[in-house]
Amino acid sequence: MQIAVSGGKGGTGKSTVAVNIAVELAKKFKLVLADLDVEAPNDHILLGVNLGNEREVHQFMPKFDYSKCIKCRKCAEVCEEHAIVTLKDGTPFLMPTLCSGCRACEIVCPVPGAIQEGSRLIGHTYVTETPYNFILVTGKLREGEERSMPLVVATKRRVKELSWDLLIVDTAAGTGNTVSKAIEGSELLIAVTEPTPLGIHDTELILELGRLMEIETWVVINRSDLGDVNEVYRRAERYGAEVIAEIPYSENIVKTYVSGTPIVTTNFPEAEIFRKIADKIYNFLR
Amino acid sequence: MQIVIASGKGGVGKSSITASLLYLLKDDYRLIAVDADAEAPNLGLLLGVTNWEEEREHVGAKIARINPETCIRCGICRERCPYECIYMDEYGNYVVNELTCEGCNVCGLVCPVPGTITLEQVRSGVIRKATTKYGFPIISAQLDVGRPESGKLVTEEKEWASRIMKEQGLEHMIVDSAAGIGCQVIASVGGADVAILIAEPTPASLSDVQRVYKVVQHFHEPAYLIVNKADINPGFTKLREWAESEGIPILGEIPYDSSIPKSMSMLKPFVEAFPDSKASKAIREVAEVIKEEIIRG
Ligand code: SF4
Ligand code: SF4
Ligand code: SF4
Ligand code: SF4
Repeated sequence: MQIAVSGGKGGTGKSTVAVNIAVELAKKFKLVLADLDVEAPNDHILLGVNLGNEREVHQFMPKFDYSKCIKCRKCAEVCEEHAIVTLKDGTPFLMPTLCSGCRACEIVCPVPGAIQEGSRLIGHTYVTETPYNFILVTGKLREGEERSMPLVVATKRRVKELSWDLLIVDTAAGTGNTVSKAIEGSELLIAVTEPTPLGIHDTELILELGRLMEIETWVVINRSDLGDVNEVYRRAERYGAEVIAEIPYSENIVKTYVSGTPIVTTNFPEAEIFRKIADKIYNFLR
Repeated sequence: MQIVIASGKGGVGKSSITASLLYLLKDDYRLIAVDADAEAPNLGLLLGVTNWEEEREHVGAKIARINPETCIRCGICRERCPYECIYMDEYGNYVVNELTCEGCNVCGLVCPVPGTITLEQVRSGVIRKATTKYGFPIISAQLDVGRPESGKLVTEEKEWASRIMKEQGLEHMIVDSAAGIGCQVIASVGGADVAILIAEPTPASLSDVQRVYKVVQHFHEPAYLIVNKADINPGFTKLREWAESEGIPILGEIPYDSSIPKSMSMLKPFVEAFPDSKASKAIREVAEVIKEEIIRG
């Protein structure tokens, strides 16, 4: 089983929710938490662990053998990323950071061996044991790389190597296709939002994504005392989504966030809110 | 001059600080604002924009489509899609997941039946222009749900903004960068003269800002730092130590102040809504330093 935690915009507390429900649900399931916010992965920091079992993620890159290339330009024409530029006489050159590794150029090249297998390091994946009886899988894009999709795919592949009963994915902010890739396969989408006008606007987008993907969607309102929660309820209803929790702004949550101790492991009263969310998910999945 | 404001990740107050800085710089300089966070744009809202004067559809994304009539169901396309975007539906048809497809066309190239897979241009989002009530223009973009990465949208926004700058003789472009470090951020940061980084003193924010700083370094742009919510985590010295070790000047520190979330609900820059708050005092000092050190310097 897989569930996803997402939120239209960054900084709504998505990772806080993901990490805390993971700690709680790990008591009931053999669990993996996947941090698919590959541009800014933070779950390990919130859990207070150092990333382990690093593995490099390499991506295909064409390497031209100019002794064989007939300068037909086919590779450059087919490249949707415009990663290949050609000189006047047709000699191809690669602009490495634009290349997505899709192999379209290799497929169309008419001369065997003119395009050879090159590769580039685009990031890393990690598999980290946590002290909370679950495994954290993290994808981390290398700085300067433009495309996060290949890393999201690689991280999901690494998750598949492990065995688990419940997979929780923590996605990036936004509603672009890397977020849908992260969510893909989930039975439940939890959208973490803020009741501010900005938060509400972004909530609609993530609700729309849940609708298009035909995934049951729940809403968690974070910092619920900082705006008009009724407006969030109204929007959620419009999309047939249920608001399952309100989390008020709390110094304790900030403190535990900063110190890398999930709040559900403490005696602070706010811990109960996250436990209730976890219970509700447990009952849904059962 | 082009100034980009970046943080590596959302939620550290980048847009509210940008809105307040725009408010404070508008009387001395002729500005244009660019909201480069195409996946969750909010600078326009924070500046009270409700009506967009001009809206352009951006048709840039490509999506593969499979014609079930001619498909022989060999499954090669599904095997070869680098991003695993092709699946078999309940009727046994091969279908492209339009919400994840990157438009690379590999499936179309490997399909043995010519014409079965076509690559279609689809709308990837809109780019809008408005004039704020403060007099300066703003360009903003919104990526459509499930579309491929939005760097191209940001590049187009900045091109539009540059044209307006030329036409209207504007002096400075202030770019509110997207979250993350991917294509949107690279498009936001690339071509800027100066980067202003925003971070809060937490381990997570430090990690994010360090990553975006590496992107900034690729472009050899000078960087500065503003510490937001400077007092929320008093024992944490690593952010300031990091800035010092990298030689990144700190333009100022803004204390945590509940007037900031309140002003966001009012859809106003906090320095306008609560001019006497401690955050507003701090941001005014920061604006003076920016004028002195970055714009005039
Ligand atoms: S692998 Fe794909 S993106 Fe890279 S150069 Fe070839 S066609 Fe272009
Ligand atoms: S398609 Fe092959 S032969 Fe043609 S220009 Fe490219 S590398 Fe050379
Ligand atoms: S265009 Fe590329 S990403 Fe889209 S389905 Fe085809 S192979 Fe997959
Ligand atoms: S490769 Fe072409 S014929 Fe084969 S399953 Fe895909 S679309 Fe159908």
